[in-house]
Amino acid sequence: MLMPIIQAEKISKTYHSGGVDIRALKDISLAIGAGDFIMITGRNGSGKSTLLHQLALLDTPDSGEVIIDNKKTIRLSEGLRMDFRLSSLGYIFQEYALIAELTAIENVMLPAMMLETSKKAKKKAAELLDKVGLQNKHHRLPSQLSGGEQQKVAIARSLVNSPRIIFADEPTANLDTVAAKEILNIFKTLNEKDGITIIMVTHEPEELEFASRLINLSDGRIS
Amino acid sequence: MKTQLRLPFYLAWQYIRRGRKWTFFLTLFMMSVAFINLIFVSSLFAGIIDGTNKQIINTMTGDYYITPNDGQDYILDKGRSLDLVATIDGVTGESARTQVPARMGYKNIRGSWQILAINTDDEKLVSNVADKMTSGVFLEPLDLDQIIIGRQIAGGDNVEENAFSFKGAKVGEKVTLTFDGFTKEFTIKGIFATKFVEADNRAFITEAALTKLIPATADVATTIAIKTDKSADKNIIDEIKALGIDGKVFSWEEAAGLMKSVAESFKSINALVSIVGILIAAVTIFIIIYVDIVNKRKQIGILRAIGIKSYIIIFSYVILAAVYAVAGVILGTVLFFAAIVPYFQAHPFVLPICDAVLVLSQLDYIARAEAIMWVSVISGLIPAALTTRTKILDAILGR
Repeated sequence: MLMPIIQAEKISKTYHSGGVDIRALKDISLAIGAGDFIMITGRNGSGKSTLLHQLALLDTPDSGEVIIDNKKTIRLSEGLRMDFRLSSLGYIFQEYALIAELTAIENVMLPAMMLETSKKAKKKAAELLDKVGLQNKHHRLPSQLSGGEQQKVAIARSLVNSPRIIFADEPTANLDTVAAKEILNIFKTLNEKDGITIIMVTHEPEELEFASRLINLSDGRIS
Repeated sequence: MKTQLRLPFYLAWQYIRRGRKWTFFLTLFMMSVAFINLIFVSSLFAGIIDGTNKQIINTMTGDYYITPNDGQDYILDKGRSLDLVATIDGVTGESARTQVPARMGYKNIRGSWQILAINTDDEKLVSNVADKMTSGVFLEPLDLDQIIIGRQIAGGDNVEENAFSFKGAKVGEKVTLTFDGFTKEFTIKGIFATKFVEADNRAFITEAALTKLIPATADVATTIAIKTDKSADKNIIDEIKALGIDGKVFSWEEAAGLMKSVAESFKSINALVSIVGILIAAVTIFIIIYVDIVNKRKQIGILRAIGIKSYIIIFSYVILAAVYAVAGVILGTVLFFAAIVPYFQAHPFVLPICDAVLVLSQLDYIARAEAIMWVSVISGLIPAALTTRTKILDAILGR
């Protein structure tokens, strides 16, 4: 394995739902190398998305540690975790999670506007939209784009601050086969050409061939 | 950091520009209604106070008035005094009134009312009694045996002080004025009703009539009422005093008497009603903006997930709320001054003491606009701050 970019050390997470404790993750430890294309698989409720949320710093485990680029993250303040997400991590949601009032280019440039001028952010956003194949759709609102196109906008947005790691939570779940393949090819290119580490949750068996490594979860444990 | 500070404005602008127009205009309308509610009540009370004050000024005292010095019955050198007052900048009219020392009688009713001898032309420049004739006409300068009486003296149905009146005297009927040693008959030329009980308890004859009866009153007065315009100096009382006139100078406020207490009571009620109005507006605005922001909970979660700092998100909603407030105040102002105020000018509130129109002072307007602003900003701040404190995933996934 390449040098680890993310390590999880005995992370556990329990949810309280309807008066019942659900142990979503049970002492999970793993290491992911820089440049890996990881696919996390498992049945519904196995803890795939929960694991992704912990690794992407969107949630905090009850115990254990998540180390990114040799930096322990669990005790970081929310502000520092946000800085980390902004500058080093990209996240792609299953439901695209675009801002309805912003056009494609405005959605993409938004995280970049936290770090640089809007002019530079816009230039970068335009390049990324071109890169994912949305050359003529920069100024469309999310409601004017297909599901596949919206997901491409989400990918461009996740890339705008040049992250080293991209997390994707079932990014093709709502797409048809052609659009899903396009998205996976974009990930493959990003991984192979740009060396970006991809960590993706999926339960589509035909997508697994894109991964350099699989992590299979069952009942909150790596099986 | 500088680029980050522009982001809230950018986000707020995009919410307004591309958000649901229907929601935006409905919010705007609600804000303007809340603002109008605040200024309407305030301006109604101010209108009643203003109407009452104008009644005192226009029917009784003028803006300023001169009375005899302590221990004297008359202001001497009336003519010279009037000439001197007329030299002061801003004085638009002055009228010398002389108390007629007589009792008035009608049929078998006798009583003491205030009867004043006036120069009718001068009086028209100071008071509006001439415009308030309900029957008959106002006096002419050379009327020697004509009198006009107020509604409270004439009496009749629905007259407040009918018990002490002539109980239905009419134009053309005779009244007698009984002086010290002689009686003179006058014909009622007109009856006036100003809606101000004190003013309507007076009667007027011409100064020519009084001078003919008592020549010694030719150059004396018991009051000189003075009317001014906006160009008058604030220290006009000092200016009048400096003229060396044989009398004491007062502003109309010092003659307000009971009405001053009534005005103070209205001010207190206005303050209380305004506080309640602001509370109601606060709750309304808070609910409107809270619902708007709670509906954007998922969006706030997404912004945080992609690395937009909480203070930027909160600030963007505070700006949005401030824009709602400013636009609501502007719309409310336009509706108020373009529709509501003109309507009530054409159809005033008819009150027993005056016809009140809406009067809004600049200070009241600013205070209420500020109240709307602050309430809106707080209404934007609290829900946005609360939403940014929930877990990102809970906000996005609606948990």
